[in-house]
Amino acid sequence: MSTVTTRLAQQQPGKMRSRSHLQVGIKAVLILLVVVSLAPYVFMVITSGKTNQQFADSFWAPVFPFHFENYAVAWNQIAPYLGNTFYVAIASIILIAAIGSVAGFVLSRFRFRGRGVVYALVLALMAVPGIVNLIPLFIMMKDFGILNTYVVLVVPYVAGGVILGTVIMRNFIESIPQSIYDAARIDGASNFRLYRSITLPLSLPVLGSIALITLSTVWNDFFWPLLVITDDSLRTMSVGLQFFQGQNAIEYGPLMAGYFLASLPLVILFTFLSKYFLAGVQGGLPGAH
Amino acid sequence: MALTKERPLAAERASVAGRPPSPRRTTRPQFRITVWLALLPLIAVLGAFAYFPALSSIFWSFFNWVPAGVSTFLGGANYARMMSDDTWWHSFGNLGIIFVFNLASWILPLLAAELLVTLKSDRWQYVIRTLLIIPMAFPGVVTALIWGFFYDPNAGLFNQFLRAIGLKAFEQNWTGSPSTALVALLLVGFPFIAGLPFLIFYQSLQNIPKEVLEAAQLDGVGRWARLWRIDLPLMVSQIRILFFLVVVATLQYGFVAFVLTSGGPDNATMVPVLYIINQAFSAGDWGYAATLSTTLFAITLALSLFSLFIGRRSAGANDGGEM
Repeated sequence: MSTVTTRLAQQQPGKMRSRSHLQVGIKAVLILLVVVSLAPYVFMVITSGKTNQQFADSFWAPVFPFHFENYAVAWNQIAPYLGNTFYVAIASIILIAAIGSVAGFVLSRFRFRGRGVVYALVLALMAVPGIVNLIPLFIMMKDFGILNTYVVLVVPYVAGGVILGTVIMRNFIESIPQSIYDAARIDGASNFRLYRSITLPLSLPVLGSIALITLSTVWNDFFWPLLVITDDSLRTMSVGLQFFQGQNAIEYGPLMAGYFLASLPLVILFTFLSKYFLAGVQGGLPGAH
Repeated sequence: MALTKERPLAAERASVAGRPPSPRRTTRPQFRITVWLALLPLIAVLGAFAYFPALSSIFWSFFNWVPAGVSTFLGGANYARMMSDDTWWHSFGNLGIIFVFNLASWILPLLAAELLVTLKSDRWQYVIRTLLIIPMAFPGVVTALIWGFFYDPNAGLFNQFLRAIGLKAFEQNWTGSPSTALVALLLVGFPFIAGLPFLIFYQSLQNIPKEVLEAAQLDGVGRWARLWRIDLPLMVSQIRILFFLVVVATLQYGFVAFVLTSGGPDNATMVPVLYIINQAFSAGDWGYAATLSTTLFAITLALSLFSLFIGRRSAGANDGGEM
């Protein structure tokens, strides 16, 4: 508030009153928008602590006692999905970061015939919606006999992730000053050394963005795990949660507790690392660099 | 993060991109092999799992495709069948409604971004911005399932609310009746602020140079006139990108519909993605599904090229300055 008062003080005294009224009005509208945006999630948290009886008695308001045992019930069912999601995400992140950073380095720092073609072929894939590949990729995986494995989950995330990963890494590495590379060259650094000791350490924030985007892709992807996984113990979060909803459709407390548990890791990461999330989301936009 | 913000000047950047790290001509042939070896993983992954499936989808669209069996060549029969498939074209009608609604819903993120930049306190701006985008962090399936719960005929929020204010007559089976199902799907995620449009609007508004706004203020340009004469024209190139992204995203719409209605009732919420999956996995008609996904791809490509072209022409006059 202190900044508001000092800035207001600089303006003509006559305008001051109406200006501050306006600011209050704007804040009121924005707070209303925040409340409406967050209401479904607040409702989820409130309901997650209720028994069905409490929910029937009081639909809207929070009631006590808050039944934490709903969370225990939900956790037992959600935990395996959480684990699967993390395994698949970590494997995908490692592969995407490795492939994308090497390709981005090579495509931005070396001149060779075919460079433009390779990059154009990568960029072109950004316009291909994932659904186009869904059916042939499914048949391919079926022919390989790897349905219902972790590998089959990782494949499309890596294939999709390296596209964005390569584009973001190339754009970022291109912005590293050439003088750093020249200096290292003069000191006798090899190409591998240029990658490992200069490019990689400088790209860590961008790699962080790529990791977060990949995690949220794996977390949110729905149709691929729905189609390639029939074994409940291998399901990732989105499909697992839909199955969970079918199991608990009339146990509202545990149901909402499960939704909350399924959201919490992403929400916490997003809150603390939103800068990286947003940099990643916007970095993929054509024209953002 | 300091490095990403620190963009090199255009001239410096061009020279950086245009100069090879070390022009040692004697070692060049061997040099090139290393380059291709380094690119091999990328090329292998994209070739095997992106280009090959996409091309094979086009190939099999001309067959009665029986995976692990004998497929027979049909020529254009699948495409002929598609042309007279009413459900397929009806599903594009639904997409049209979803697309128009999507565009119209930008008014809310735009409003939020405009109000936010008008706030004088940086702390308020930061807090409200953070709260407004938190829903982005929730998994899409959670949002969809919570809204699905709201639409529940008995325990759902909307019918409870109508009962509470004595309008029991207006109760609906929101996702279960053909007249309300599509509207129910569209409203999922209201007020639609947490998303890329808001982030882009807000960032573009923040990037408008102070001098421009001060000059406008001296000329007596009001807040409303500023929106039309300064903010929107300066955002044209960002809006063009958004428009393109919305076109692509809309054509892939399907997951919320699957969770809430599975395309029903009576195909009222059928969308192309769901129809393709139904044809493949329920009807076992893989060739026809390949035909449909090839067509969806062609339509996506045509529309996205079209949207980029349209945007470029109208943005031409404003594209001079880099924001």
